Amino acid sequence: MNISIINDPFMQHAILATLLAGVVCPLIGVLVVTMRLSFIGVSLAHAAFAGALLGLILGVNSAIMALIFSVIAAGILGPLADRGDFSPDTAMGVMFTSALGLSFLFLSLIPGPETEALGLLWGGVLTVTQTELGFLAGVTLVTLLTLLLFYKEVCAVLFQREIAESTGIPATTIFYGILLFCGLAITSSLNIIGGMLVFCLIINPAAAAYQLTYRLSTMFGLSVLIGVLSGWLGLIFSCIFNLPTGALIIVTSSAFFLVTITFSPKRKVHFQTIPKDGNYG
Amino acid sequence: MSLILEIKNAWIRYPQKNALEDVSLRVEEREMLGIFGYNGAGKSTLLKVIIGLKRLDSGSVMVHGLQLTPRALLEIRRKTAYLPQCLDTDIRMPISAWDVAMMGRYGKIGLFKRPSRSDREFVRTVLRQVDADSYANTPFGMLSGGERQRVMIAHALAQEPRLLLMDEPTNSLDLNFTRNLGNIIREAHRRLQLTSIIVSHDAEFLSEICTRILLMRDGRITRNLLPDEFRDDRLVDRHFREALQ
Ligand SMILES: Nc1ncnc2c1ncn2[C@@H]1O[C@H](COP(=O)(O)OP(=O)(O)OP(=O)(O)O)[C@@H](O)[C@H]1O
Ligand SMILES: [Mg+2]
Repeated sequence: MNISIINDPFMQHAILATLLAGVVCPLIGVLVVTMRLSFIGVSLAHAAFAGALLGLILGVNSAIMALIFSVIAAGILGPLADRGDFSPDTAMGVMFTSALGLSFLFLSLIPGPETEALGLLWGGVLTVTQTELGFLAGVTLVTLLTLLLFYKEVCAVLFQREIAESTGIPATTIFYGILLFCGLAITSSLNIIGGMLVFCLIINPAAAAYQLTYRLSTMFGLSVLIGVLSGWLGLIFSCIFNLPTGALIIVTSSAFFLVTITFSPKRKVHFQTIPKDGNYG
Repeated sequence: MSLILEIKNAWIRYPQKNALEDVSLRVEEREMLGIFGYNGAGKSTLLKVIIGLKRLDSGSVMVHGLQLTPRALLEIRRKTAYLPQCLDTDIRMPISAWDVAMMGRYGKIGLFKRPSRSDREFVRTVLRQVDADSYANTPFGMLSGGERQRVMIAHALAQEPRLLLMDEPTNSLDLNFTRNLGNIIREAHRRLQLTSIIVSHDAEFLSEICTRILLMRDGRITRNLLPDEFRDDRLVDRHFREALQ
């Protein structure tokens, strides 16, 4: 690999795109991991992917279609997870597999050469356009600002929604806000990381950070650090080995996760049984 | 004295049974009301209705002079603290006991603001009150059941409520601290002109601190007793014998 590659405008875009995706996805990931919304998140990601493909078929902006699809999915799954009086597992399983089914259907319906569709599937860091980069930058900025503005309310909701609700924090609004931002992060990183992989960049860095700390602010920081490192390392590896960047970013972030669970100070807690003393547990 | 809570003909119906059946209740300011009854009698349901976590199928609730509607909910909740019966949080949650106690004040602090010095001072005081200051920086998930209960009590007190709802506050508490809790609640009553409603299976605790005790059974309030009457075992016994028939 030649170092002068850095001067290449494609490469500069790629470095910036992986940086932004490596910030925004892991930030959302902290919320998803601590609130145990992984299954909702992955369903949103697949719905967004299906939406983007439909956009390609219909010839409309695929980012907008992806966003619409993930918002619809959030609108369906949110209330199910919200209800609390029955387990939403089944409904989410149905949602998840339906989105997957739709994606395959749309893939087969795409007219002409499938390069663009494959781009969505694998992600293409080196082909990211100025508009896409602008959208991603906007989403990252808005996510950061919103998180800073509502930090304490978000913490309360992460801790326990019902209690947050009962102290006069609009926990339900915040919950749906989180799902919306999750949809935005997914949509804006979709064609960079790849439709099938984008959710990994949300969950892996946050899950790794979760293993390392008992402080929420530290967890946000570590998660972003791991996200950005995975992004850049993935990019470097993909230049060296000439392999898809998105996949390598994910593999790198998974490696981070494996390392952290091996050395996690929480490992002991992990395997402890939860006390069932009738009060808490 | 003015009315702080009024519930009229409240019903909550579930497919198997009614959790509340035509419950009416008036609570005056500064009362310390106890609620006692069998498992499944509807005690927790009643508290959740007051704080707006469960919705009535029919009937009406008025708290702090406000009709309990979605619009009034935020204001009612800011003046009302609620200690839940049980709490499920992830034991590895990256949040400390201090953070949890401080969360009680978030509604009061309001949006876009950080806890001020006086907020921190207040939280420090309540944590000391419940003897939890030694583990304030410990992750909440690492605490024992009783320690968590104390932190949750601090969370409720930190809110400086006008109305305090506690669902089995003595759960997991040791004997010594159970006695302390009575004093803490009494003290808060004096300082904050508080009204409280306490659900408990601990008859001694209730008769010690409450000014009035309701017995609940099958979703109904069936008796309204003074502490002395409540201590009189026969009355309570008869209540439960009737339940068995
Ligand atoms: N979501 C629900 N669906 C169906 N039934 C419910 C629901 N929530 C509560 N119930 C029923 O309502 C009844 C009252 O429940 P509640 O939790 O108020 O009892 P409780 O008096 O607090 O009992 P305990 O002493 O065990 O805490 C119970 O029989 C319960 O099964
Ligand atoms: Mg109960």
